Amino acid sequence: MFSTIYIEEEVLETERVRKLLDRFAQVPQVICDRYGDVFNRKSQNFRLQKMSPALILAKKHGRKVLDAPAGYGYNDSKSYYFSHMLNCVYDCRYCFLQGMYSSANYVLFVNYEDFEEALAEKIEENKGGGVYYSGYDCDSLALEPVSNFCGHFLPIFRRYPNAELEIRTKSTQVRCLLDTEVVSNCVIAMSFTTSDAARQWEHKVPSIEKRLEALHKLQLAGWKVAIRFEPLILGAEGMAPYESLFAQIFSKLDVQKLHSVSSGLFRMPVDFHKRIVKLYPDEELYARPTETVDGMIALKSADESSHLVAIEKLLLSYVSSEQYYRCA
Amino acid sequence: MENMKNPMPVNIIVAHGLEAKALVKALKLERHQASSEFLEYSNSNRLRLVVSGMGKEAVAAAVTYLAQQQASADGEIRAWLNVGIAGHRDAPLGSAWLGNKITDRSSGASAYPPQLIEGVEVGSVVTVDEPETSYPLAAAYEMEASAFYAEAAKYSTAELVQVFKVISDNLENPISEIDLKLVPDLIATQIPQVLTLIESMSEIVEQYNCSQRLPSYYHEVCSKIRLTVNQKLQLKRLCQRYKALGLEAELAEVAGLKGGDAKQLMRQLAERID
Repeated sequence: MFSTIYIEEEVLETERVRKLLDRFAQVPQVICDRYGDVFNRKSQNFRLQKMSPALILAKKHGRKVLDAPAGYGYNDSKSYYFSHMLNCVYDCRYCFLQGMYSSANYVLFVNYEDFEEALAEKIEENKGGGVYYSGYDCDSLALEPVSNFCGHFLPIFRRYPNAELEIRTKSTQVRCLLDTEVVSNCVIAMSFTTSDAARQWEHKVPSIEKRLEALHKLQLAGWKVAIRFEPLILGAEGMAPYESLFAQIFSKLDVQKLHSVSSGLFRMPVDFHKRIVKLYPDEELYARPTETVDGMIALKSADESSHLVAIEKLLLSYVSSEQYYRCA
Repeated sequence: MENMKNPMPVNIIVAHGLEAKALVKALKLERHQASSEFLEYSNSNRLRLVVSGMGKEAVAAAVTYLAQQQASADGEIRAWLNVGIAGHRDAPLGSAWLGNKITDRSSGASAYPPQLIEGVEVGSVVTVDEPETSYPLAAAYEMEASAFYAEAAKYSTAELVQVFKVISDNLENPISEIDLKLVPDLIATQIPQVLTLIESMSEIVEQYNCSQRLPSYYHEVCSKIRLTVNQKLQLKRLCQRYKALGLEAELAEVAGLKGGDAKQLMRQLAERID
């Protein structure tokens, strides 16, 4: 599962780490001072490391709950994100993480209690409310059997019913949720792209059918679920792939009960894009014409806005305008 | 060695001629006549082996020398492997591992070569300035790895820089009693592991270079038209994009070389795909 496990000396003797190390006793274990010594080194190649990623067990220092980027999220409440993990087990070619980190290794911050304290503090600062996103720098559920993220973080939000937790994922690892009493202020948001896009760019990701099946089970169990059509990568394919995707999704799920549905175009900071181009000069997606607006790279497309309007129109034939939002 | 016919763009650095002996034989290397201070070997599969001499300065100099010789305009890289003997508190003579942590004792700094290769034992390596006789840590003690890693990583990517150490001395068999004639035998026992390493590293480096390889059109333009550094970078990216878009065959059609005007050529190429 992991090529190596690196462990910060500071967390080596913690119970959470000892359990993990016992469980993965066959994986080579290397002690390091700080995770950055392994993770942030220069001369690393994200693409090559994706062939055989390592796990780094570390302690998160500094701020643990951060303001969500502008336009990220579905309502006007103050919104935040927190990352108990950096990097993702999947290998989506469009993902900005490829340009954000020099290493593809997974960093798991094991000081959950510190995150808990920081979350509680932030929630109380917001009078018990606020929206809290998990899954910005990682996939929150994909490594659940290792991280036990749900086991630790769901009870926090159970204590604060007016604070909302969104778990963003492409994973079908939902057993932890199905085995737990529903947390009414927790939303499981699953990302989808069209089947062609998934085939071309989403490596190691469960199929659309399996993800949908997982969402269906969650919905039946009473969990709030949401759909994220991100990133929309618009090309010459027209509307047919979206018609097919939307029909597949909205016929499987109870649309009335969907917490929210969003869309978001393919965008990333210029610097990330530059780094990804160096990693993947042979990738068709990054060879397409682009344009830069306010430091963000977007695909250049003459009919982007009309295409997006058509997609939104189609979406709104399934869901209400109250359920839908466009991610900036 | 089934894959000996495949390209092996790997540089092997050893400190001592005795460490080279078994490798030269197993890898069918031939003495390479070069006007340098280093003993050099190579074969037709692009494997190179250099005997650096002992210690950090010597190994760094050998890496620099070889990298400068191999500097490539098209951005191709090579893998780097340091093979050598080391001491350990109690590991059996002849046992060996790939370094997953290299600590330079004089500076206290550690490096962590990313581990992509399966099927080879791994462990810690400590680089010392003088031979170690008490082996305080459970690590392979030797004299080159930290400098080798730091220097070679400048010319490649860290995943393709590895050190492999074969135990030649321990507390029961102290360094003062090493029979140097046995060194080739100790290395020889680990030839299967070394071959696994070379083959795996070759596959990875080939994959990397293949993804970065530029269409021949790029080299043709560079040889026929005078380009500024910036224009070369622009042309490189345009050629990469044509290749990624499956339009490589159209490059020469879109912008022929007759006019010899770099700006016009670049404009024509961009117009077709932007």
